[in-house]
Amino acid sequence: MKDEKRPVRLKGVGDSLWVSIDPTQSIETLKQELITVFQRLGHLTIQAKVVLDLEDADGNYDSLILDIRTFLKETYNVASVLENDKKAKTEKKAPPPLPDWDKKWKSKKSDVLFIAGRIRSGQRINARRHLVVLGDVNPGGEAMAGGDIIVLGSLKGKAVAGQPNNHDAIILALDFKPTQVQIGMNVAVGIDTDAPQTAEFARVEGDNIIVEEYMQANPFAKLHWPQAR
Amino acid sequence: MEGKVIVITSGKGGVGKTTATASIGAALALEENRVVVVDMDIGLRNLDVVMGLENRIVFTVVDAVNGVCDIKQAAIKDRRIKDLYLIPASQSDNKDVLEAEGMIKLCGELRKQFDYVIIDCPAGIEKGFQNAVAAVDEAIVLCTPEVSAVRDADRIIGLLYARSITPKLIINRIIPQMVERGDMLSHDDVVEVLSIELLGLVPLDENVVVSTNTGIPAVLQKNSPAGEAFQRIAKRINGDVDLPFEIPRTNRGLWKKLAQKIGMRRRGA
Repeated sequence: MKDEKRPVRLKGVGDSLWVSIDPTQSIETLKQELITVFQRLGHLTIQAKVVLDLEDADGNYDSLILDIRTFLKETYNVASVLENDKKAKTEKKAPPPLPDWDKKWKSKKSDVLFIAGRIRSGQRINARRHLVVLGDVNPGGEAMAGGDIIVLGSLKGKAVAGQPNNHDAIILALDFKPTQVQIGMNVAVGIDTDAPQTAEFARVEGDNIIVEEYMQANPFAKLHWPQAR
Repeated sequence: MEGKVIVITSGKGGVGKTTATASIGAALALEENRVVVVDMDIGLRNLDVVMGLENRIVFTVVDAVNGVCDIKQAAIKDRRIKDLYLIPASQSDNKDVLEAEGMIKLCGELRKQFDYVIIDCPAGIEKGFQNAVAAVDEAIVLCTPEVSAVRDADRIIGLLYARSITPKLIINRIIPQMVERGDMLSHDDVVEVLSIELLGLVPLDENVVVSTNTGIPAVLQKNSPAGEAFQRIAKRINGDVDLPFEIPRTNRGLWKKLAQKIGMRRRGA
């Protein structure tokens, strides 16, 4: 048994009330229908969020929406009445919203394995993405990561970053003396182990791994604004 | 009071585990402790030769674990040093004949009869090592100032920590002249990489070669820098934690040369 398509229909979507209306009907009819529907909800309408769905109707109904909004707010004390504007979603994409940095980081989940201690010979730490070691990586120890590797100490073992294929990854250590570094598919050996203790990092350029002093190169200072890695 | 079971291990072979075991065992016995040294290098026994007891072996550690004999029969008494015993390894078996349970039981019984049970661990990290460390209270990691030895010692330290054993470090065969020239890792370099508590520094000493061949422990030899270093290590194991470290140095400088000439030879160790 199918209902005849009524001018106003209501369903609960998430924490809001989804109200489908037929905008071709007169405002009086719509108000009548709204009353019958909202009456049944009783106190549930108080401070409810209402989304108006105009069902693909063509034409401009801004005044109608405005009427319904004031009507619902006054009669049923709803919190807000928004228009479900599908066209706006599909067509009005042109100006991207300015990033709100304070809020953006709140939704960003950390993807870093942060460990303290010493990775000894024969031990291997494997991070799904980035790896930060507060301590040393000894000769024979291995640090592996899907993203960057940061060693706040001596890196004297093997560091394998950007696995399997992330060539943007870097390997940074306060004392950079690894036996071998790998970034993505690139491998580098023979890094000067007699060099003085300086913060150096390795990155990929072309098909080569380049090791530079971190503070001189300061590669991320050139970015226009903070980015999540 | 129950005794302590201490394993002497290194990972790498040929760094002086057996000599250190014999020397530390003898030095602890000289300090009036009841000491037994156990050779766990089954199939490649050496400790009996170093201690000069090879022709008195009847039963071995394998027999003692398997219940063929009791501990009193397997332990060979040293005739020169009071209260020093050796339980030798078997030369004909291999390292798979023992299981960790057997070692735990044996060490439990040895603990009741001796103040110190010193275990000579085989090289490597396989079954022999697993058996040797199965029931220990303390571990001593021996390391020479070479990159390869440091690497293996580091691995062993990781494995010991994984078994909740906190190891201590002895650096063996330091050649002061080479360290001063910069051709050898200094003890500071080694300690920096391994970052565990230092127990002693032992210089390279020709007397050790003589003592291993003749079967006289280095600690019984006079004027042996290594023997004296091992005596100090034994004192530290025995509870004298404040004993200062003597860093091996070359005998250079006018005063030292002068002192050497008039017979007041000062040995660094």
